[in-house]
Amino acid sequence: MEGVARYIPMKRTWMIAGIVAITFLFGGEIAHALTVGEVAGEFICQCGCGLTLANCAHGECGPRDQMTTAIASMIAAGKTKPEIIAAFVAQYGERVLAAPTKRGFNLVAWVTPFATLIAGAGLLVLLAWSWAVRRRVVQPTAEGVWDLLSPEERKRLEEELRRLQD
Amino acid sequence: MNELGNTALLIAFSVSLYGVAAPLVGARTGREELVQSGENAVVANFFLLSLATAALLYALLTRDFRNTYVASYTSRDLSFWYTVSALWAGQAGSLLFWTWLLSAFATISVRINREWLSDLMPYAMAVMMATSAFFLFLLSFASSPFELLPFRPADGQGLNPLLQNPGMFFHPPTLYLGYVGFTVPYAFAIAALVTGHLDERWIRATRRWTLFAWFFLTLGILFGMQWAYVELGWGGFWAWDPVENASLMPWLTGTAFLHSVMIQEKRGMLKVWNMVLIILTFALSIFGTFLTRSGVLSSVHSFALSSLGPLFFAFIAIVLLFSFWLLVMRLDALKSPHELDSLISRESSFLFNNLILVGAAFSVFLGTIFPLVSEAVRGVKISVGPPYFNQVNVPIGLALLLIMGLCPLLAWRKASLENLAKNFLGPGLFALAGGAVLALLGLRQPVALLAFTLGLFVTATILQEFHRGAKVRARQGRESYPLAVVRLILRNRRRYGGYIVHLGVILLFMGMAGSAFSVEKEAILKPGQTMQIKQYTLRYEGLSQYPTRSALVNAARLTVYNSGKPVGMLLPQKNVHRGHEGQPMTEVAIRSTWKEDLYVILAGFSEDGAASFKVIINPLMMWMWVGGVLLAIGTIIAFWPDRREGRRPGARYVVE
Repeated sequence: MEGVARYIPMKRTWMIAGIVAITFLFGGEIAHALTVGEVAGEFICQCGCGLTLANCAHGECGPRDQMTTAIASMIAAGKTKPEIIAAFVAQYGERVLAAPTKRGFNLVAWVTPFATLIAGAGLLVLLAWSWAVRRRVVQPTAEGVWDLLSPEERKRLEEELRRLQD
Repeated sequence: MNELGNTALLIAFSVSLYGVAAPLVGARTGREELVQSGENAVVANFFLLSLATAALLYALLTRDFRNTYVASYTSRDLSFWYTVSALWAGQAGSLLFWTWLLSAFATISVRINREWLSDLMPYAMAVMMATSAFFLFLLSFASSPFELLPFRPADGQGLNPLLQNPGMFFHPPTLYLGYVGFTVPYAFAIAALVTGHLDERWIRATRRWTLFAWFFLTLGILFGMQWAYVELGWGGFWAWDPVENASLMPWLTGTAFLHSVMIQEKRGMLKVWNMVLIILTFALSIFGTFLTRSGVLSSVHSFALSSLGPLFFAFIAIVLLFSFWLLVMRLDALKSPHELDSLISRESSFLFNNLILVGAAFSVFLGTIFPLVSEAVRGVKISVGPPYFNQVNVPIGLALLLIMGLCPLLAWRKASLENLAKNFLGPGLFALAGGAVLALLGLRQPVALLAFTLGLFVTATILQEFHRGAKVRARQGRESYPLAVVRLILRNRRRYGGYIVHLGVILLFMGMAGSAFSVEKEAILKPGQTMQIKQYTLRYEGLSQYPTRSALVNAARLTVYNSGKPVGMLLPQKNVHRGHEGQPMTEVAIRSTWKEDLYVILAGFSEDGAASFKVIINPLMMWMWVGGVLLAIGTIIAFWPDRREGRRPGARYVVE
């Protein structure tokens, strides 16, 4: 084994180790049969409760029973999850889906939160960087003083500051 | 009594209008007596609203069914305490309760701050009284709790069975304390903007109010989660319902505000941002009431619909336009003399924490209103439910968890490599090792594994802080280690209370991550038959039926075996409340351990004695509730007054 390992470059070794680790960590999913509960989580119950079909807890709920029965028969007929979803959308419209589709205008709902966060983070980094640059230009001595301190002095100063802040 | 209540409300409305005008005119013209008269108006408003609240309580307890509100929310068979809780069960009563709380808070804040914040007080009073006037307008002219029926019915319609749960005593009042509590810091922020006195005094004056409001909003949300878990009978605690979201949004922005004010206190930075946050938090608190009351979005809270939506909408619009106009006018004065020194510093980590919290609030807001946006833009009705909110918010939540670990341990101004290594190497290695162990033990779900690893990291950073502080104390003061820990907390309540809150939040996160491993099974059983779910065996013994004061109870008896050993009996119920026969209520049975909850729902039963069950195993649920308790304890510690606080010089100058 040692001989083989010698011929694998370090970068590749890390890559293989990574793949093995990922396979080990996340590769344990076993294929299983589709259940009603699994599909029901994709839909909103049409009784008006606003909960998913899987979670509608009305004591007696006609729409829930009707929809779950339909899912059960579609699963029995061998339909896949996407096929069942398509059939329900055709019957009830898009509002039956518990989440917006990831297409067209609905992408606004999916993308905007992350785009805003990324833009915000970018802005923060940019601001911090520009301020830091400006400080270096305007107050070279302030930075210089810090740089002049020995590690022990810096440590002592930080501890003092921390103690005073408390 | 109804006439008395109505009259009290009408006078209170006039008094609150006077309470807006008098201090404003007094402050502008320098007539101190007018300002004092405004203070008296605040107190009078409180007494009048107390009178109206007492009148409604009297009508409820004496079953005065000529009163529409009493007839709608109580009945003769309703128990004493649920009758008291009917005060906030319906729209008019809860608006009255809201306004009464506001009048009490306004009175207290005036009494506490009139001397040392005399310049801000008239304007803060005017803002609180204007808010009170809006709610009193609703109570007097749009939704009166003292409206009378033309006849006296023999009995009332009773309280919605969903509301007949101990949660009714805790969830709405705490939530309202939270919502209303944010009015005080908002009022002082506006006062600071109007006067141009934008130093840190308004923040110091309202820090405890903010913490108070945040504490109760947090409790309200947690009580709501617990209530949903035990009452709604679907096995979860958070359905991303619009009304639930409405309470989460001000909580998120309020949490951001609680953190960012620290930067203003310490370094005089983020003045504009803090104003934005408190304006948003207040507006979102009103938005929460608007969503609950307007019925603009379908919700499990649909028992609270009304036509008040446009009025609330107009009020929120006025609040936002006025507040942001003021803010823009004062932008120059709000400029901070300080800037970020480095991206790797406590200040910038607080900024990132704020970004994530506000980002989360935005994503919840967008998801909540997106059905309306879609209908307006495309003309297509869509639903936005748990799959959306979970997919969008889980990564944001994980980022928040990470920043929670980094934030408190970074140095102010600029963290050195040495500082980073000293504070994060140990916790980082510990978390990685812990994560690896969890993976080896079979935890393979990526998000949950990441959440647990980050949870370990944050816990380690916090415990390390406690350990270091206690070690120094123990060495210097020659105290025993446990005593040093206690004294450390007591001497730095705000800081270590905050850490305890963070520990509570981690437990909450872990509990939520545990829900990824829920297992569920359904079965129809005849008496004597058993079902198996993981290590549990449940034997159905039979069904008991018996009447109570207000319902017919159908309770299934299930003997529970854990790995073959009998561990007790569970009694899930399906109850039919009088007057609500078409809406049988589920009462779940739960067996809780540190490891998991065994959650049993009686889904239905038939004449032949057979019953259908839904059984769910929810891992780590208890961690969530314990996390909630820890969070409450931490907040109380941070809130508790410290005698030395007044003697301390402004900490801000220390780091400048």
